[in-house]
Amino acid sequence: MVVKSDDNKIICRCEEVSLGTIKDIVHHFHCSSREVKLRTRAGMGYCGGRICRTIIEKVVQDINNEKVSNESQLSYRPPIRPVTFGQLGGSENDDES
Amino acid sequence: MTMRVECHPVLGNLENQRRITIYYDDQAYQAYEGDTIASAMMAEGVKTLRYHEVSGKGRGVYCNIGHCFECRVCVNEEKIVRACLTPVSEGMRIHSLS
Repeated sequence: MVVKSDDNKIICRCEEVSLGTIKDIVHHFHCSSREVKLRTRAGMGYCGGRICRTIIEKVVQDINNEKVSNESQLSYRPPIRPVTFGQLGGSENDDES
Repeated sequence: MTMRVECHPVLGNLENQRRITIYYDDQAYQAYEGDTIASAMMAEGVKTLRYHEVSGKGRGVYCNIGHCFECRVCVNEEKIVRACLTPVSEGMRIHSLS
């Protein structure tokens, strides 16, 4: 399914991690999607993995020909929605040191 | 040739929308009330809303539903918002993040 010429296609937009980088890491370290995330930062970007999480899972599963699991190893990290300090009550109790 | 839909079956005609001025990186642009920052800038032909922190490449609207944060901009020097979700207001000062 993964075509050779796609190697420079960007998978993770936030961290600019290309498909080639991910494939090299998986071939070299025989690692899971979680380890790919830790090694390449793919999935750790500002969007919280919303865009590339499933793509990374699919690519890694294809290379390792694991069976597809709908449980993602790339965990969701808080805050899963943007929260400003103002919303956390920051502006009301400014004087508290 | 404008990028805008002049008469929209649901949103109605463009004429009776109020025109407002917004500033992006200290340059004035025309927008209509009810636009989001992303759609207003795209109608003005500005596609680059941000520059990537590491590579410096231009980034702009991608998902347009507030999902990917590619279109995040700084508004009125105080808030960082997603351009695709934020309606424009008169005299809004928008700055690109880099």
